Amino acid sequence: MTSKQRVVAAVNHQAPDRIPIDFGSSSVTGMHVSCVAALRDFYGLERRPVKVHEPFQMLGLIEEDLKRAIGVDVDGVFRRKTILGFPLTDWKPWRTQQGLEVLVPGAFNTTVAPNGDTLIYPEGDLSAPPSGRMPRDGYFFDGIIRQEPIVDEQLNPEDNLEEFLPIAGDDLASLKADVDAAAGSGRAVMTSLTGTAFGDIALVPATFLKHPKGIRDISEWYMSISSRREYIHAVFSRQCEIALGNLARIHAAIGDAIDTAFVCGADFGTQTGTFCSLKTFRDLWLPYYRQVNDWIHAHTAWKTFKHSCGSVDRFIPSFMEAGFDILNPVQCSAANMSAQHLKADYGARIAFWGGGVDTQKVLPFGTPGEVRRQVLERCQIFSEGGGFVFNAIHNVQARTPVENIVAMIDAVHEFNGVPANA
Amino acid sequence: MPDLSKLYDAILSGDHKAASAITREAIDAKIDAMEMVTGYMVPAMDEVGRRFECEEYFVPELLLCGRAMKSALELLRPLLAAAGSQPAGRVVIGTVKGDLHDIGKNLVAAMLEGAGFEVIDLGADVEPDAFVETVKVRKPHLVCLSALLTVTMPSMKTTIQALKDAGVRDSVKVLIGGAPITPEYADSIGADAFGGSATAAVSLARKFMQAA
Repeated sequence: MTSKQRVVAAVNHQAPDRIPIDFGSSSVTGMHVSCVAALRDFYGLERRPVKVHEPFQMLGLIEEDLKRAIGVDVDGVFRRKTILGFPLTDWKPWRTQQGLEVLVPGAFNTTVAPNGDTLIYPEGDLSAPPSGRMPRDGYFFDGIIRQEPIVDEQLNPEDNLEEFLPIAGDDLASLKADVDAAAGSGRAVMTSLTGTAFGDIALVPATFLKHPKGIRDISEWYMSISSRREYIHAVFSRQCEIALGNLARIHAAIGDAIDTAFVCGADFGTQTGTFCSLKTFRDLWLPYYRQVNDWIHAHTAWKTFKHSCGSVDRFIPSFMEAGFDILNPVQCSAANMSAQHLKADYGARIAFWGGGVDTQKVLPFGTPGEVRRQVLERCQIFSEGGGFVFNAIHNVQARTPVENIVAMIDAVHEFNGVPANA
Repeated sequence: MPDLSKLYDAILSGDHKAASAITREAIDAKIDAMEMVTGYMVPAMDEVGRRFECEEYFVPELLLCGRAMKSALELLRPLLAAAGSQPAGRVVIGTVKGDLHDIGKNLVAAMLEGAGFEVIDLGADVEPDAFVETVKVRKPHLVCLSALLTVTMPSMKTTIQALKDAGVRDSVKVLIGGAPITPEYADSIGADAFGGSATAAVSLARKFMQAA
């Protein structure tokens, strides 16, 4: 099987020749730039600064030589513009706070605050208020909340829709060019859709906008789920309408050259439960998710990808009802999310893309032997009958020992019984 | 005489405007501030906690109810101070150095305040020395440390070590929490307890105060 065939078989719940592997195809299945650099060193690849393709989480680009070394089966096509509103072009050197030389996009413009924090700016515009902050000695950015005082009587859903527009011609052209390039690689292709992230809390503060309006404070947004339900419905409803128009334009441009479409990264789980009730989810999210998934399934061959961290056991039947084909990151470390339970109860109907190893404890703090044991166990449980793409539970975090990352990768290949580059 | 059950109801329904309004009425009517706290606000937040534990309430409702409670408490605070009212205990809380995430910490702070504790909130990305200085000056009963990230968990250990180095570790109970935190981790770094939720933190804080 080719990599593409392997992934397609897996997500269609057919047993592939071996477990497919993803690292680096999206903003939730990647590795911190320091880990990518360490892996390149470990595998003896050409020494060169790693590109930071996701500047908020500081994810490192896994390029062709490292993909081969790891044995990656998926290519990611990223949006032209990052979460900070600037394009992935005009790469320039930058030094992380730990002293690692990396490459960042040309508009990755930063200043250092008096307390040593690094500030970053929307669209790279140093005259705008900063939208991201990396603590001194930190590893990635967090959004700076820029919330105008809220007067309920004056709230207008249009203010929370500023970022949802018909896809721009240059964005569409860039997407098509990147998809065409990836489609020739022999790997499966994943891309992130435009404007289908309903209330993804990472996007609510709009770090890409210079002067965001509407509800942009994270706590205020969470409270609004309960106290301003009609407002959120109005935002999601119009957002969905715009997204469906964009889907038609995107599909007309790229056809079925992609295999998986990253629809939404809104997290519904905490470590022990869910952020909201199932009733709220079914009222506020499910109808819009279903419209997006229904359109995709009616018009394309794409499989739809839903990311949600945490303990979402009770939401999974509703994710499936909404039409999602793939769940990520499969946080087995959260309550009621054991691999055995998920595979037995949902594995026939939804594919698991992740869950391969715990990134909260085992991968960063365990021994290589502990990593190997957990990876082999997870592969055994999740791979039966297909429905599994190997990935860690979310991005591999900074400070994870490279020996553990290698132990993880080696264990998948050990389970598969073939070397990485076979 | 205002109907103070409306304060209880306003907090339980997360209506901060109603909570402020009834509190102002009560202040004008010279109702004892401590009676309002212990008779209506603490029971309301206890009920919020109960509903959270049995999954009638979730994070949005906790945030709303916490805000309603705080809006009333802000109005009462000067009166409580003037009357020399004693809180259930004094807590210093913060998200540890390197970590900017504060929603979980804010929920714990609100629930502790709602349980009658005095809460000194140092915010997020708090240096170990800031915890040490606050413990020395404000002499709290409890220190609560929060972290969301695996990369900032070690800052909890550093903070506890700083409390030890300053000779104040044994004067406080240290409670830690956050998504990647476990009871085993709490033990390994010398914390006194791990709180798995905002309501668990309140239970632990009350237990520590009873044992004190």
